Amino acid sequence: MSDGPIVVSGLSKRFRIYHQRSETLKEMLVDRRRSRYEEFWAVKDIDLEVHEGETFGIIGANGSGKSTLLKCMAGILIPDRGKVTVRGRLASLLEVGAGFHPDYSGRENIYLNGAILGLPRRYINSVIDEIVGFAELEQFIDNPVRNYSSGMYTRLGFSIAIHMDPDILLIDEVLAVGDEAFQRRCMDHIEGMRREGRTLVFVSHAADSVRRLCDRCLWIDHGVQRALGVTGPVVDSYVGEVNQHEMEALRQAAAGAGASEAGWMGVRITSLTFTGEGEQASSATTGSSLTVAVGYEAPGPLHGVRFRISFYPAGQDTLISTQTDDGELGTRTLPAHGTVRLAIPQLPLLDGVYGAKVEILDLTSGRQYVEIDRPQSFRVQGQGRRETGMALLGHSWEVPLMDPTAAGV
Amino acid sequence: MELLWELVRRDVRARYRGSVLGIGWTLLNPLVFMLVYAAVFGALLKVQGPSGKSYLVFLLCGLLPWTFFQQALVMAASSIIANAGVVRKVAFSWMLLTVSTVMAALVNFLISLVLLVPFIIFTKSPVGLPLLAVPGLVLVTFGLSLGLGLMLAAGSVYFRDLQYIINLATMVWFYITPVIWPFTKYEGFFHHGKLGLIFKFIIYANPMTWVTLGFQDIFVFNRWPQHWHGLLYTVVLAAVLIYFGMRVFRRLRRRFAEEI
Repeated sequence: MSDGPIVVSGLSKRFRIYHQRSETLKEMLVDRRRSRYEEFWAVKDIDLEVHEGETFGIIGANGSGKSTLLKCMAGILIPDRGKVTVRGRLASLLEVGAGFHPDYSGRENIYLNGAILGLPRRYINSVIDEIVGFAELEQFIDNPVRNYSSGMYTRLGFSIAIHMDPDILLIDEVLAVGDEAFQRRCMDHIEGMRREGRTLVFVSHAADSVRRLCDRCLWIDHGVQRALGVTGPVVDSYVGEVNQHEMEALRQAAAGAGASEAGWMGVRITSLTFTGEGEQASSATTGSSLTVAVGYEAPGPLHGVRFRISFYPAGQDTLISTQTDDGELGTRTLPAHGTVRLAIPQLPLLDGVYGAKVEILDLTSGRQYVEIDRPQSFRVQGQGRRETGMALLGHSWEVPLMDPTAAGV
Repeated sequence: MELLWELVRRDVRARYRGSVLGIGWTLLNPLVFMLVYAAVFGALLKVQGPSGKSYLVFLLCGLLPWTFFQQALVMAASSIIANAGVVRKVAFSWMLLTVSTVMAALVNFLISLVLLVPFIIFTKSPVGLPLLAVPGLVLVTFGLSLGLGLMLAAGSVYFRDLQYIINLATMVWFYITPVIWPFTKYEGFFHHGKLGLIFKFIIYANPMTWVTLGFQDIFVFNRWPQHWHGLLYTVVLAAVLIYFGMRVFRRLRRRFAEEI
């Protein structure tokens, strides 16, 4: 049979969901007859082989079973069906700082944690300086870890795991520890291990990092194996489906939402739509037009108001905010109901899902009549753009030309 | 082995972290209980030690192994749950977490044996060659604690109440162990009707009875442990408990990481 460092065959793992965990005696005795839990398959029938020296990715949405699969590989979870065969020393970055004793100094914890991870004391003696140095804890290593900041704590745990010198390293999206510089050093270290021909298994829901790191990967969805193979195509189909789901969610949001409760003085927003050039609602393309239409309603004509619309990338701060001209609207009265339109001829936003916040304010008091905040308002497709980030930059490049007289030399 | 050593070290130190008295608590605890029992049962209720022997030494040499047994069980019961963080994240021999707590209790027990020295000198109780039997008795007690401890540790992951039940159970258990009442003086009671028979059965079945009697033989009477049949039963029971303890633990450990 095959003899890769990790061979997973027919692996299935079942979890129990307790209706109400009966951990107490009373429930145990009273609820004897009722089934107290349901079972569901967290991963089902997974077959894969990780080859020697490759970086293997496991990609999937949150809750798709990737971590369960990884924990089965690590031997923490024992599969209900099928099996996992591991050849070689395996370390996993799941275990960052697990088993630290708060009253122990950093140094003592290195030995304790090392022992738990199966490192002989002799070996730890030989790498302890590197571990401490990598974690940048030279000054604090003899202080008890209960006095450590959470950053120091994870750095130390990470540093120990990374210095285990494993043949196989399992990584579970934990690279977001410590500050930027520490993250970069972790990445460098992992990169180094790759070059040395160690086998890496990397679990993530972020398509970018999987694409960057992995040779081959598995796409897992609701515990079921969707695609397995060379990273490019697998990640493409994963991203394709994620986008589709996103659009579906946006469409539903657009259909249902948009209206607000009545705010101050009974002013309310009745609709909020985003229209790009494409046919789909709530979808736009970088560089082409987007129109935001805000329908409002008030008990009577509105005098001296300000409309403000802010855009922000999902889960972040405002990127751009714009408002109506106070000078002009200050002297005008608006009808009791109507639609305000914001036209953006060339949308400067890059690929991603954006949120929008719409506010109607009273000019004289500055008080807000009403606001509506929709974290997932529209999706921008930035197909084929060379820029990355959030905003489009009007720009041109100039590169030096070859001097024609020197061409022949 | 290295891991076991590190864990025992951790568990022993963890018990006295940040306390002023530190290891002194290991000595103070049985000492206080001894004085309380001596006052209540000895002075007030007039329970007497074996004729012509010091009730204090009698109490103490039963109390020390009992304290070990009880603490080992209570600590073992929570040994896996208390280490949930590691169990959830690292695959290693989780059984060592339980073994190390029982061993930490053993270390405390060995330290507490020092307490016997001043009392033996003060009451001029003679001790001699039978002391050689102490390691054997300690080993048996350790075996009993380990076997039961493994079952409790694994069981309480699924059924948390076990931790509290064992607390209560050991309190009752204490009184069916001849620590405060001298076995020989109440032996006659076992022949009084049905109730006597029930008591006899319970007390004879209790392995700690034979361990306690062994310690009393050595330290109070300065003789080799007398109840060979009882001790033999205890040794066999300890072996059976360890065997089943390990089997139960191995079986239940399969779902530890998800249930904890």
